[in-house]
Amino acid sequence: MKFAYYPGCSARSTCAELNEATHLVAARLGLSLVALESATCTGARELRAIDPVGFYALNVRILALAEREGLPLMTICNTCTLNLLDAHAAFVSDNKLADIVNVRLADEGLHYSGRTKISHFLWVLHEDIGEARLRAMVVQPLTGLTVAAFYGCHITRPPGRYGFVDSRNNAALERLAEIFGCQPIDYSGRTECCGFHTAAHDERVAIKLTGQHLRSAKANGAKTVVTPCPLCHTVLDGFQREIEKDMGESLDMPVLHLPQLVGLALGLTPAELRMDSHMVPAGLLASAATGGIA
Amino acid sequence: MSIVQTAADGTTRAFRIGQTERQDSLRARNARFTEGELLKVRVRRSTDRSAGATYQDFDVPYRKWMRVLDALNWIAENAASDLAYRWFCGSKMCGTCALRMNGREVLACWEAVEPVMVIEPLRNLPVVRDLVVDRAPYERKVAQLEPWLERATPYPQFPEPLTHASMKSASKALDCIGCMCCYSACPVIGLGDLTDFAGPAPLVQLGQTALDPRNGREKVARSLAQTGIFNCVSCYKCEEVCPAGIPIVSMVIEPLKAKAAALVPHMAKHALALRAVVAARGRVDPGALVLRVQGLRALAQLPRIVRLWLRGKVKPLRTLLGTKTTAAGAARRLLTRGDAP
Repeated sequence: MKFAYYPGCSARSTCAELNEATHLVAARLGLSLVALESATCTGARELRAIDPVGFYALNVRILALAEREGLPLMTICNTCTLNLLDAHAAFVSDNKLADIVNVRLADEGLHYSGRTKISHFLWVLHEDIGEARLRAMVVQPLTGLTVAAFYGCHITRPPGRYGFVDSRNNAALERLAEIFGCQPIDYSGRTECCGFHTAAHDERVAIKLTGQHLRSAKANGAKTVVTPCPLCHTVLDGFQREIEKDMGESLDMPVLHLPQLVGLALGLTPAELRMDSHMVPAGLLASAATGGIA
Repeated sequence: MSIVQTAADGTTRAFRIGQTERQDSLRARNARFTEGELLKVRVRRSTDRSAGATYQDFDVPYRKWMRVLDALNWIAENAASDLAYRWFCGSKMCGTCALRMNGREVLACWEAVEPVMVIEPLRNLPVVRDLVVDRAPYERKVAQLEPWLERATPYPQFPEPLTHASMKSASKALDCIGCMCCYSACPVIGLGDLTDFAGPAPLVQLGQTALDPRNGREKVARSLAQTGIFNCVSCYKCEEVCPAGIPIVSMVIEPLKAKAAALVPHMAKHALALRAVVAARGRVDPGALVLRVQGLRALAQLPRIVRLWLRGKVKPLRTLLGTKTTAAGAARRLLTRGDAP
């Protein structure tokens, strides 16, 4: 299976380990990833608000690059995924916008005709690889590892984009965790917000919100949190020291990127998956699974 | 987006994500009950503002097409005549019966019962008694935002030229029934006075007039300056619970943010900085973004920056040298054309 691969900005900067882990895991899964070297940022949510045409132009260009390769597009970031899905939906429903954007793309000989399929790595695991094959690929069941799934917002809301009436009913991560032998736990933060999107001007919201989620995960017995989004990871892991200080209690909760959890089950080592590069060390986590990875 | 579910007998079924819920309609839920079956209903009760809350359990016999409101009416008529709850129209118009059922904001008049229900008042507003909340904080905020039209130029003549396109966002906001579901679901409002964020419901009220093209720029700027709108985290919790189906983030808050960026640019510092960083470098350099938004204030985070640097998560040299990525040329072309704002 071949995909055009869009890691986004975060996996190329603060979460570089996610990019590396994705490449290793993709190779194990038999996914061939084609890099889109000149792909820009998708503009986060901020650009979408203040410069919609610029936002659509950036996103549609990424879709056009994938279309030129004739490949579906795989993402590893929630917000990038929603941005690209939004841009695609606006492009195919608004001819005037489509023309404006294609005029901008024509400068470099690009054109989008609305054919690129957008899929997050989480959906690729479920849809393109499938539960049965995935189960057969597990070489290192993570027995006994209690996992708190942290979805993040933009892979499960808005309701109009994903079809959830109640986003809490998303169970895609828990089903994966079970396939890998983990024990998913229930807690209050599963589909809540990490607060990343206002953190550049005021971290306090992210610190307070994520503190509630991590505390709940810990109280319900999680040994680790797993997230499909590097932006959530940045708050869950990167801000954890500040969160502990704010709450006045220790959390010490390792946070895994989704490909790292998959990688462990497929027999990759914590070192190969760069789990030591997190702010809260996750390197020893695998031994917490009684399946026992040395 | 689909997931495959394996049943106990080994058969598999493919679901499109979210499809499982479309089988959770009023009809489907009703089909799971038999007449007279007892529903387990737990209601949060408190007698006044200061007293602690208790939970009281009721067994409510199911009747066909039973809604949450019907269950509350049964309790009030048969088991607890002092139960306080509000409702008026019973048909999703008046917005007075909103409450939380099993942790989710719903209209009691529009939600089918479930076999086990925990019923609580809305969050983020003071509780008057039982399920009744005090709407005053919301109403004060709305009044402060001056949600009316103030033309900059005199009223021209009838009919005023208005197009569907120019009223698109404002007309979505006009669907609001003021039920406060969104206000209760908003995590930023849940943090109290931490920020000056007005919250989704007051912003929807403001959007009805601030997104109307007839409104004067100065008036709109004055209102927007009091919204703290850039504290919205774009989590879409408000959209998820809105019984009127208003796309609150994408059709109200984002257009209001665009107006704020144009009329009160200092509010939009973060968004404008992100645009500038992407236009210059092609991708976000987190260090450059934070420096641009926070200025010298960013230095207060020095210990964290050092920790991140030791783990290879930030590259201060790259930030300070303004290193461009392979995407810089494309981003500049796309974001700095004359037709961009």
